[in-house]
Amino acid sequence: MKNMSALSKTAIHGLIILYIIFLLFPLLWVVASSLKPTQEIYSGSPTILPQQITFDHYSSVINGQRIFRSMWNSVIVGTFSTILVVLLAIPSAYAMVRYKSIVNNAILGWILVSQIFPVILVMIPLYVMLRYIGLTDSLTGLTLIYVVWSLPFVLWMMYGYVKSIPLELEEAAVIDGASRTQVIFTILMPLLLPAIGASALFAFISSWNEFFFALVLMKSPTLATLQVELARYTGMEGQSRTGPLAAASVIATIPSIILFIFMRKWFTTGLVSGALKG
Amino acid sequence: MKRSTVIFLSLFIAGALVFWAVRKNDVQQKSGLRFVSLAWQERAIATNKSIVNEWNAAHPDMQVEYIQGTWDSAHDYLVTAFETGDVPDIFHYESSIIIDYAMRGYLTDLSPYISVEMKKDILDVAWATVTRPNGEVGGVPFLIESLVVLYNKSLLEKEGIVPPTRQHPWTWDDLRTAAQTLTKDTNGDGVIDQYGAGIGLRNSANIIMNTSISFGGSFFKKDGDHFVVKVNDEEKKLLQTIVDMLYKDKSVAPASIGETGAGMIPGFFSGRYAMLVGIGSWGRQQLVENAPKDFRWGVMPLLKAQTQTYGASTQTLSVPKKSKRAKEAMMFIDFILSSKNTARLALNDWMIPARKSCLSMPEFNDTLGGWDITCSSVATLGVGSWVGAPGYVEWKSRVANPVLQELFAGRISVEDAANRIEHESNNVLSRYKKRGEVW
Repeated sequence: MKNMSALSKTAIHGLIILYIIFLLFPLLWVVASSLKPTQEIYSGSPTILPQQITFDHYSSVINGQRIFRSMWNSVIVGTFSTILVVLLAIPSAYAMVRYKSIVNNAILGWILVSQIFPVILVMIPLYVMLRYIGLTDSLTGLTLIYVVWSLPFVLWMMYGYVKSIPLELEEAAVIDGASRTQVIFTILMPLLLPAIGASALFAFISSWNEFFFALVLMKSPTLATLQVELARYTGMEGQSRTGPLAAASVIATIPSIILFIFMRKWFTTGLVSGALKG
Repeated sequence: MKRSTVIFLSLFIAGALVFWAVRKNDVQQKSGLRFVSLAWQERAIATNKSIVNEWNAAHPDMQVEYIQGTWDSAHDYLVTAFETGDVPDIFHYESSIIIDYAMRGYLTDLSPYISVEMKKDILDVAWATVTRPNGEVGGVPFLIESLVVLYNKSLLEKEGIVPPTRQHPWTWDDLRTAAQTLTKDTNGDGVIDQYGAGIGLRNSANIIMNTSISFGGSFFKKDGDHFVVKVNDEEKKLLQTIVDMLYKDKSVAPASIGETGAGMIPGFFSGRYAMLVGIGSWGRQQLVENAPKDFRWGVMPLLKAQTQTYGASTQTLSVPKKSKRAKEAMMFIDFILSSKNTARLALNDWMIPARKSCLSMPEFNDTLGGWDITCSSVATLGVGSWVGAPGYVEWKSRVANPVLQELFAGRISVEDAANRIEHESNNVLSRYKKRGEVW
């Protein structure tokens, strides 16, 4: 039995390793392509690792296009929209969970509908509205769009988290004399930290990866976001500047990786582990 | 309690600070003219920017802002701009889509602004790709996209195959014979590792449409004011030739079915395909810049079927109808598309310049890079009967490409493909007929 268990463990570990390799392979390919000379990229017998390493693609990206400017634009739009989304989602989710009303179902329905609505259908009216208030070609306008766009799903996520926090915890705090605000900030917020981390990461990555709104709303080249800048390495009929595109993609991945490293511990914390006895 | 309050307040203050930073970064540059270019190769971008800088230096009161667009998203970007009115003043695109925009009323008719010199110097076949029957011009054509056949000199020499010349072009039968000779199992393991030809057939509508003219076909027929699609024997002959090369001769690499022309290039470098058939003339750039050092290649003249006439499509500069500065925009177009600048743009994009004066320049008659043979194809370029067909762009993506993919993947016969193309095409076109759009 013990042997079987060891065998199962080995098989499971083997599968996990295979899965990790499967997940890492595209990243490895992009990093390798970013370091290969162009002729090696176009070689008919490609290798995974570069046979000759060059940093020409990185220097072409850094010198040629506005990669850092566009990355900065993405960072500020992503950061601000994430903060706003989380700040709006926490009290909204709390109110939806704790204050039962007939509006709740309508809100949940709205959240679902908003997720299946094609972007292209809302683009033109949205553009006209934003232009009316002077927010096209503006990072503020794009930030607000991202807030509106990711809020429903973040609210949905947060709703689930808040709902899983036992009401008894709040009742205990109320019996001890805590006000509603105190309950939210002292009891709920610490327990919601993993949820806030997950939601914030979702909101940030959504805005970081978003292309269409950024493409259509931002007219000035200096306001382009990273995804729009990356698309400029592709040409017609399936052509692309593969080396520079790979180098730019590697650079583009760095902020997301850093963010994930910082937020990693939030995910590993159990949501309400040990909150209640019995 | 204190800690949580501090966290919340910190988040709020951080948010406010970022908001302030965002507002501060909102540079609302409202300069003169906005020019959206789809140049994407490093040298082509540099050339465009350089010309814009030259214009800006000479016209301090009418500055042009260079905006780099992308081919994949240009349509969404432009249609949203047309519908909302926040348009660039000049934009770069291709003739088949320009036609559609012109019919939908998105474009300024440039005919009153075009100078006599420009009108005379640009090839008639190029003008025909953007000019409506009533004389309205949707854009100024400056680059001609033409199909070429590239070949691996070493492999042809090894088999003693003499490449065709401008005076003696190959027929499709010649190509088939050569491709069969070049298809080989070089290491004797029973598997073919060198194919005579590779054809990027993933989205093959463009290749098929432009080539069909040389077979005497064209798919689209005029029916009064409107268009219908007919797949006759001429079109079927072209389709059957490719299917036979794929499945009967097995001289076209099966990888062709799922690849674009650009995607076939690495296999061409490695000697897996001895010839690349129906690739755009831009493909030469990849060869010049990325081929292995000892790789020797050449360009063949267009293949002959009934004739050597192929359909032309062009890259264009247009002015949206909602631009308030059409006259100034046309002044800039005049500048960027002067004979000298058109030559610079064509050389750096590896495409055929649309101006006659450029074609007589030594650069475009050079054997190096295959410019001479590539540019000689303008003599046999024609205009497809589909030019001006409302719904052509949708037809290509919703009918032609999917049906042709099934045909070349061996799932349906030529006869089935012809029937499906006719039936499905006319469903699409009838929708446009109801809208009353007329070229």
